[in-house]
Amino acid sequence: MSYVKSSAALALVLLLASHVVHAKGDDFNSVVKMIEQFYGVKHVGIPFLAKAGMKVARTAARIKGGEAKRIAEAGSIKLAVFENQDFNGEFTKFRSTLNAALNQTWSPLVQTLSATDGEQVYIFMREAGEKFNVLVITIAQRDATVVQVTLSPKNLALLMKDPEGTGKAITEEATIIDQE
Amino acid sequence: MKTLFQTKLATPLIALLLIAGSAVATRAQDSRLQLNGLDHLTAKASQSVDVNIDEKLIRIALKVFSDNDPEEREVKKVVAGIKGIYVKRFEFETDGQYTAADMETIRTQLRGPGWTRLVNVRSQKEGNLEVYLLMNGETVGGLTVLSSDLRELTVVNIVGPVDLDKLAKLEGQFGIPELDIAPAKPKSKNDEK
Repeated sequence: MSYVKSSAALALVLLLASHVVHAKGDDFNSVVKMIEQFYGVKHVGIPFLAKAGMKVARTAARIKGGEAKRIAEAGSIKLAVFENQDFNGEFTKFRSTLNAALNQTWSPLVQTLSATDGEQVYIFMREAGEKFNVLVITIAQRDATVVQVTLSPKNLALLMKDPEGTGKAITEEATIIDQE
Repeated sequence: MKTLFQTKLATPLIALLLIAGSAVATRAQDSRLQLNGLDHLTAKASQSVDVNIDEKLIRIALKVFSDNDPEEREVKKVVAGIKGIYVKRFEFETDGQYTAADMETIRTQLRGPGWTRLVNVRSQKEGNLEVYLLMNGETVGGLTVLSSDLRELTVVNIVGPVDLDKLAKLEGQFGIPELDIAPAKPKSKNDEK
């Protein structure tokens, strides 16, 4: 009997451990779920064709310096969109929750909040081999987007030089591609 | 004859005091400020910006900035050796949204050992500007800029060897706002277009 109990306990521990590893490995989905739970909202599903389109679509984003070029590496865009829902207040609490969830694996680069407009922008990054993952979370009063992209070192330099401008351009690029 | 204190407790106590002492000494030379005393202002600000470039991100910046681009090459030179750049900036729609007590949460830390105030400009029209430098012996350990006016408060904290010239070159990079504390930079070709 005790053998069964200890085996069950071990299985449970292994199951929980694998869940934790999975959560760490897929922070994009964790962030989307966190927004859904925190604000009681649901993200809009992206049609399969739009996803396929992301891999080949060409788009231009105006970035600091006036040069128009693609920022994200082809096929690297993960996008979740929240439309016409309430993202009311409590953003300092949301920021703490978000930072606590991501600070093990991501570095917070810039965070911009506006109490009057109810807007929040968070830019996180992490190394991914020779390239870099960037997570841009933009929350307005009625809409939100979560974008994860892979950047080349050259484009990461652009992000570091002008985090706010390039972060905005990354979100614009992802959403434009989504509409194409 | 030795007492119980002398034999059993004295050694660990001395060791503990030494560890605590060295921790205090290390902290005294660390120019990283605790800026989260200002976090509550986020709820009042029309815009708040929080920039965190830690040592890891500086290392990445050194890797990704190109030596072929004159601007990036210059920034690489400037950030080499720097261990962190931290910025908090708040903009308010009305006057008086932050208090002297808020400023004190920063100034208290800048009264610590090694910190010297280099610049202290007070102007009703232009706002206030304070620049502090941390000296670790002969070397600069960090720099802090406190810029404020009725509707704006900015703290820039740079950890590591930096001076005002370097800070001027970092303005507008890494989310560091234009603080106008150094001579005007020469116009770039892009500005002239």
